[in-house]
Amino acid sequence: MKKIIIAAAISFYSLSCFADIAQTPQVNPVTGAATWEINEHGVNLSLTQILPQQAQAFYVNRGFTLKQIESYTSSCVYMAVLRNDNAPGTIHFIRKNWSVLVDGKSHHLLSVDDWLQRLTETNIKKSALIAFRWAQFPSEQKYEPGGDWNQGMLSVGLPPGSVFNLIARWDIDGKPYETKLQEVYCAK
Amino acid sequence: MLNKQSIRSLIIVIATMLYANGISHAEGLPPLTHKLTKINKSIMAPALRLKNMDDEIVDIKDLQGKVVVVNFWATWCPPCRREMGSLERLRLATKDKNVVILAVNIGEDIETVFPFMGTVDPSPSFTVLFDPDADSMKRWNVNGLPTTYIIKPDGTVAYSAVGGREFDHPDIQQKTINLSR
Repeated sequence: MKKIIIAAAISFYSLSCFADIAQTPQVNPVTGAATWEINEHGVNLSLTQILPQQAQAFYVNRGFTLKQIESYTSSCVYMAVLRNDNAPGTIHFIRKNWSVLVDGKSHHLLSVDDWLQRLTETNIKKSALIAFRWAQFPSEQKYEPGGDWNQGMLSVGLPPGSVFNLIARWDIDGKPYETKLQEVYCAK
Repeated sequence: MLNKQSIRSLIIVIATMLYANGISHAEGLPPLTHKLTKINKSIMAPALRLKNMDDEIVDIKDLQGKVVVVNFWATWCPPCRREMGSLERLRLATKDKNVVILAVNIGEDIETVFPFMGTVDPSPSFTVLFDPDADSMKRWNVNGLPTTYIIKPDGTVAYSAVGGREFDHPDIQQKTINLSR
């Protein structure tokens, strides 16, 4: 029995490592939304597709009209989660340092302020804008080891059906780290 | 060489391990943790003066002498919703220990918050404060929801927690109670 448990542990560990390297997305059987996840350097990063209809429903319930939020909900939106499980220190990230690689070309993500700037031009209720602002993945944050984390919406600003790599960057006491989610695809 | 029974046992053990690993990913939910970050510098809690559900002003300055758990949240925030029940269980576990919980709602109104509170189990009796313009976020250095601070009786910040927590975990309960002594 002991040999079986050891063999199982080795098999399980091997499968887990392979899963991280292969980054095969997990698909929710109910919604069809895919999740990409990676654990590196003691940090867990995941992106889960938010389908356009889901994003629309969320923001209409916050006080937007469909037209007011259309540019955002059709821009390839995800629920991003970043968690410091056991990094060797406090991780500090600035979202504008993250980038998206599409067809070999790198571009930076629109910041929360960029989106707010676009949205305030369309005469939206203040309470809706406050909800939008705080529903976004943070612009800058620090996470202590042992489980500080956040989840929030992240638009990659690409058209439906796009495929990209997301490069997330952070530092610990000035030492840079990065991790990559590969072949993430936008919901159509 | 493994026989049929051994192979069967191996499959069962692997399946159990995979299922256990999957539990934390059930419904795609990140796990709530129970770690608090100790604040070693002596930092006074920022000002907080907001209305509660009865439209009465609550000022954190008037709570000096008590341990105050300040939680920033919104009804649309999934980890905020998940930890609400555990905040109430923390309140129940510490109700005779000079501990006050303030749940600062960001950007919403009573018409939105009241029905949501009716869905939380156990039903919360802690104080909900309303910050409709989100003015307290910058003052309290809150960059994402939920964020929680635990304030000592002398008004300085003891602990912080970024992201959802199991507030009814024994570690958090004990740390909170220890501050009240």
